[in-house]
Amino acid sequence: MNVTFVLNDAEREFEIEPDSLLLDVIRAAGLTGTKEGCAVGVCGACTVVINGLPVSSCIYFAALCDGADVLTIEGIAKRDPAVIEAFVEHEGMQCGICTPGQVAAAYTLKREHPGASEETVREYMAGNLCRCTGYVSIIESVRAYVSDV
Amino acid sequence: MTDVIRVVKRPGGGVAGRRREDGRLDATRKATGEAIYVGDIERPGMLHVAVARSSVSHARIIAIDTTAALASPGVFDIYTADDVTPTPYGRAVRDIPILARGVVRYVGEQVAAVLAATRRQAEQAAALVEISYEGLPAVTDPVAALAPGAPLVHQEPWKFAKAAVKEDTGANLQSRVVVGEREVCEEALRSSAHMIDHTYTTPAGHQGYIEPWACVAEVEPSGKAHVWLTNKSPYRLREQIASCVGVPEEMIEIEPITLGGDFGGKGSPEQAPLCVELSRLSGHPVKHVLRYSEDLTATNPRHPTTLRVRLGCDADGRLTALASDVVLDGGAYAGFKPAPTASIHGVLEAPGYRIPVFFAEARITYTNTVPKGHMRAPGAPQQSFATESAMDELALQIGMDPIEFRRLNLLQNGDDDPNGHTWIEYRGLEAVEAALAAYRPQTPPKGWMLGMGISIYSRETSTSTATSLCLVPLPSGKLRVEIPIVETGTGSHTVFRELIGRELGYEPDEIEVVQVSTDDLSQDPGAGGSRVTATIAMAVDQAVKAWRERLDHGPVSVVVNEGGGPPVGSYSVQLAQVAVDPETGETKVLEILSAIDVAEIINAKAHQMQVDGGSTQGFGFACLEDLDESDGQVWAANLGEFKIPSARDVPSYRTILVPGGRGVGTANVKNIGESTNPPTAAAIANAIANATGVRVRDLPLRAERVYRAMKESSE
Repeated sequence: MNVTFVLNDAEREFEIEPDSLLLDVIRAAGLTGTKEGCAVGVCGACTVVINGLPVSSCIYFAALCDGADVLTIEGIAKRDPAVIEAFVEHEGMQCGICTPGQVAAAYTLKREHPGASEETVREYMAGNLCRCTGYVSIIESVRAYVSDV
Repeated sequence: MTDVIRVVKRPGGGVAGRRREDGRLDATRKATGEAIYVGDIERPGMLHVAVARSSVSHARIIAIDTTAALASPGVFDIYTADDVTPTPYGRAVRDIPILARGVVRYVGEQVAAVLAATRRQAEQAAALVEISYEGLPAVTDPVAALAPGAPLVHQEPWKFAKAAVKEDTGANLQSRVVVGEREVCEEALRSSAHMIDHTYTTPAGHQGYIEPWACVAEVEPSGKAHVWLTNKSPYRLREQIASCVGVPEEMIEIEPITLGGDFGGKGSPEQAPLCVELSRLSGHPVKHVLRYSEDLTATNPRHPTTLRVRLGCDADGRLTALASDVVLDGGAYAGFKPAPTASIHGVLEAPGYRIPVFFAEARITYTNTVPKGHMRAPGAPQQSFATESAMDELALQIGMDPIEFRRLNLLQNGDDDPNGHTWIEYRGLEAVEAALAAYRPQTPPKGWMLGMGISIYSRETSTSTATSLCLVPLPSGKLRVEIPIVETGTGSHTVFRELIGRELGYEPDEIEVVQVSTDDLSQDPGAGGSRVTATIAMAVDQAVKAWRERLDHGPVSVVVNEGGGPPVGSYSVQLAQVAVDPETGETKVLEILSAIDVAEIINAKAHQMQVDGGSTQGFGFACLEDLDESDGQVWAANLGEFKIPSARDVPSYRTILVPGGRGVGTANVKNIGESTNPPTAAAIANAIANATGVRVRDLPLRAERVYRAMKESSE
């Protein structure tokens, strides 16, 4: 089957299987910034933005994206460099494998909850696991980004 | 080079730290998703690997039927033990078969490997491989495994290359280490005025890196193999693969990679020998990316540990003797450990107190469970949980304040530690005072009980440094620094840039730090042992000297082999505050306050992240994580079941650095990476005991355990 959606601000058509996962489709298209971690929708490493909301692409059928606006880390970096700058400035990463997902969640957080409190940030970012940092520098990065309105 | 220092505010807790303006060199490429990990690598003509795994703990393989699997779409071929080299592999002990050969020894063991055009096709075909078994008696309990007559996991384990046991050592033993004399310690305990005798347990735990194991292997027609593996010790990996597949080391080239987390879990050859064999057999590059469920159930998690601790003191509260009897479950193969005794050294570390008589015996057993590797500070979190809990239990038994008890017994300058080493300084007391001075009681939720607990961990700093590097002047006037060290996420490459920039006067953007392949440099033992920063400093020091003395303007290479010097170490003191719901046992860790004994710090932010990240892993070990090996197989088989801390779960952190210590090497640094996760569990257990009056001796400290302990004590 075919599916058509806007991927990083450009309309794209993909030939997929009915059960193809969005993560596999975008990575096969060369967009490898989105990572597979747990593969069961828990860790958030595969987070992308669909119609403004954060979605675990490892458990999301690509077929459901027909007509949607899909944004991956590559598109976020172009559309809103401020989120990248905040993570770089506050060193919100160590090994970096979870970072594209953290950035994607921060991007939707700012739009859903501009100027969010630390409590809201921690609640919202709980779906994006990081094993390195203890979250201190990630929360610092996200708070700097969401408070910069 | 400008040295701009500014104060960084840390809204999530932590300490206001000094920071240079040049941040992590890999920050932008990681934030934008441009950093390339092993899972992102594609090679022309590449095939994908999936494996069929054992569904039973111990059995003879009667038949492997691949008919249906071979007919599955996209399948190239299927391989079993008969197709690959029979030589087992491993880090130290060489006991792991590439594919199970006649016998399976744990649920999850690799039996057959499928090559297919896509990963999904390979996985679908692997599910169709039919394996028939004839069951063998299994042993899944590490203590039962040591009993005479227990089922044998291996018939002749002493015959494996580099085995640590002999024919007469007993059944199912991977290794055994004894420190001190048992009879002397028994006598000291018998004649002590007071003694406690308790057994503490810790479960199997996964390292929890977010990047699952991945491997790409490509064998050229000449036989030369290129390997990209999620592994942090490339030069050791090269030897391990070469000796397994039977080629000279120069026929294996380990390519540079970015590693998505390590924590002790990414040091083994894992799937590399299989992938090299499959590439050789198929003539194609191959790629094997594990699903995270495979990573949790069938790689190399931390040993479950049972520790019996007996601790004695005299009538005034001065420690007299410590006896530890420890059994670690090593699982079906020993080869995932860098030494057969790796986690034993951690459990035998003497705590940083004056203890006149110290005895410890630790044994690692073979069982029919997933083979164990190790995790951050191998063995030390288990040892610290037991002995630091025991310190509190003994103090409370004699009616002494646990902090006062520790003050009375901490090592002081001039003392020998219980292993007979004399550190050049002991700064435990300073760290305790610094922590107490910063302590502020938190407010618990209404109706909840508040408790505070202390735990102290001391660790000797590794003084041995071995590595190699090359400085290459570029036509642009910039400097390229070629190094053998994998960036595991700690910021090691940034530390290289910072030290070289300082010494040679280059700005950060004039220095390019690159990890090169094993063909390009001569040696490095891999990232680990909290020794990387000291190693980098020594290497930079020697490279800078050679650079200044060079006669032409060509590249400068150095090989570093340094070691020795008096023992140096570091203390970390943690104060945990908890609130416990008396109705349910639910425990919230409100704050972890760390006081860290430090010397020079090269990169304040990277150092602080070791404290924050280590404390978080300590918190997860204490309160959440358990692979659940009941019946011998891992049941917590996904990251929903194996719960690692999220941003919402973690306590608030504060850090007090206690500067002025004496470090090692030219940069005068102390270890940090493995100093902050070991003490946390005991600090939290002691805080729960302080809040509730009950003691939980089994990790993790989940609500139901706290509730049950409270209920039993009230009955």
